[in-house]
Amino acid sequence: MNKEILKIENLTKTYHSQNVSATILKNINLTIEKGEFVCILGPSGCGKSTLIRCVAGFEDFEGKITACGKEVKKPGTDRMMVFQDFNQLYPWKTVEKNIQYPLKVQGMKDKKMLKEISDDALRKVDLDGKQKNYPHELSGGMKQRVAIAKALALKSDIILMDEPFAALDAMTRNKLQAELHLIHEQSGVTVIFITHNIQEALVLGTRVLVMDKKGNIIIDEQNRIPKPVTPASEGYGETWNRLHDALGQ
Amino acid sequence: MKKYQKLIIKVLFIVAVLVLWELYAVHRDIMAVPRLGVILKTLYEDMFISDVRPILQYLGKSLLLIAEGLGIGMALAFAFSGLSVASEIFNTVYNLIVSICDLLPAVALMPILMITIGATDTTIIVLVVHSVVWPMSRSIIDGFKSVPKMHVESGRNIGLSRTGLIFGIYIPSSFSSIISGVRVGWARAWRGLISAEMIFGVASSAGIGTYINNARTLWLSFPSVYAALILIILVGVIVEYGIFANIEKHTVRKWGMVR
Repeated sequence: MNKEILKIENLTKTYHSQNVSATILKNINLTIEKGEFVCILGPSGCGKSTLIRCVAGFEDFEGKITACGKEVKKPGTDRMMVFQDFNQLYPWKTVEKNIQYPLKVQGMKDKKMLKEISDDALRKVDLDGKQKNYPHELSGGMKQRVAIAKALALKSDIILMDEPFAALDAMTRNKLQAELHLIHEQSGVTVIFITHNIQEALVLGTRVLVMDKKGNIIIDEQNRIPKPVTPASEGYGETWNRLHDALGQ
Repeated sequence: MKKYQKLIIKVLFIVAVLVLWELYAVHRDIMAVPRLGVILKTLYEDMFISDVRPILQYLGKSLLLIAEGLGIGMALAFAFSGLSVASEIFNTVYNLIVSICDLLPAVALMPILMITIGATDTTIIVLVVHSVVWPMSRSIIDGFKSVPKMHVESGRNIGLSRTGLIFGIYIPSSFSSIISGVRVGWARAWRGLISAEMIFGVASSAGIGTYINNARTLWLSFPSVYAALILIILVGVIVEYGIFANIEKHTVRKWGMVR
């Protein structure tokens, strides 16, 4: 049986700027179980990024978020964020140091162990041999893989991904989707993945959520299309159309 | 333009200036423009032979003072800039202080320093610190402000404390601004120090500025003035290309943070 790993209760997020206040999310309730790959679809500005930023602990909010049994008050390594921007890696650290640094911050000092963990994480994202490269020597897709490797090395319970493949070309995107799917299958890590792309949500997600422009969750369903998902998969067309219609609302 | 072509142009320019200088010196034969050979001979004598004008001792004294002042100035700039990141109140006050103090030329403070501290090395060190701390703070704070929000959030995500964020994220991320700040601070301090030594002739601080002043007033040796200028330029070149350029090469250039 799956186990609850994230619980969001009555989450409301309001931004205040000078004399204007805007409520982006209102009374969101959501429970995610361990090992789920939850894809959140929604139009621009609907609050899906805000939602995972609240889960990450980057934003103040009203309501309650419980991750891995602990109430979310601040960011933590149990919820690692992979940003959309390629430049999320520290440019002054090599690829392996980027992966090892969070582990060091967490108190791991054994150099041999650090090396083993970073090498293993890089192998998982197919970047073995790039240990000594600096981020500026990598392509956008490679940088995103390193960011994923960082989260894997830390053994985060939840990986939060905010449109990580949005700025990639179609071929690299497809390749990374396949890799991420494999990583999820093998590691069983819980992933919350923000995307605009219905195909991406269906290829990756075990569960798909759709948010409307007002920040309400209007669809929350298991993705029953058998993996690996292709446009020829049974139920793909019908699900795609339904999600597309919902996004248009 | 390729690197060696730029180098050739620079060398040709310097040679042309030297040739013109020599022609002018031979043609006019005036004290203020000595021949190149005389300047180089004086430089050699003052460096290795003369007991009256031991130029390297003067230079060494100036370098010692500037190193001390730079060290203190940099430490203060880092400490204050770090506090500015940590506290908004401190940031507001410190920004005001930097804006005011950065406008004050170091030499303008000399009369006050001479009265309050006296004609001592401390006066020169205070002057150097004053020259370094404000421009460097400005650069560090500007650098800190331009650190990508994503890097800070990523730092918080991996569990860095406030101090950890300053050392682990803010400082490396704004390293190119920090180097610029040290460059500006060094240049200001070096000029300020020489000016102060020349104008006020701080007795206990017989630095290179004092040497120039003595060459003009006591020794009546214009070649010595030029010898000092050559050494000052050499120190500048060594600091720029030997130290700053190397630090840049092994940090921000290697990291791809500057072109």
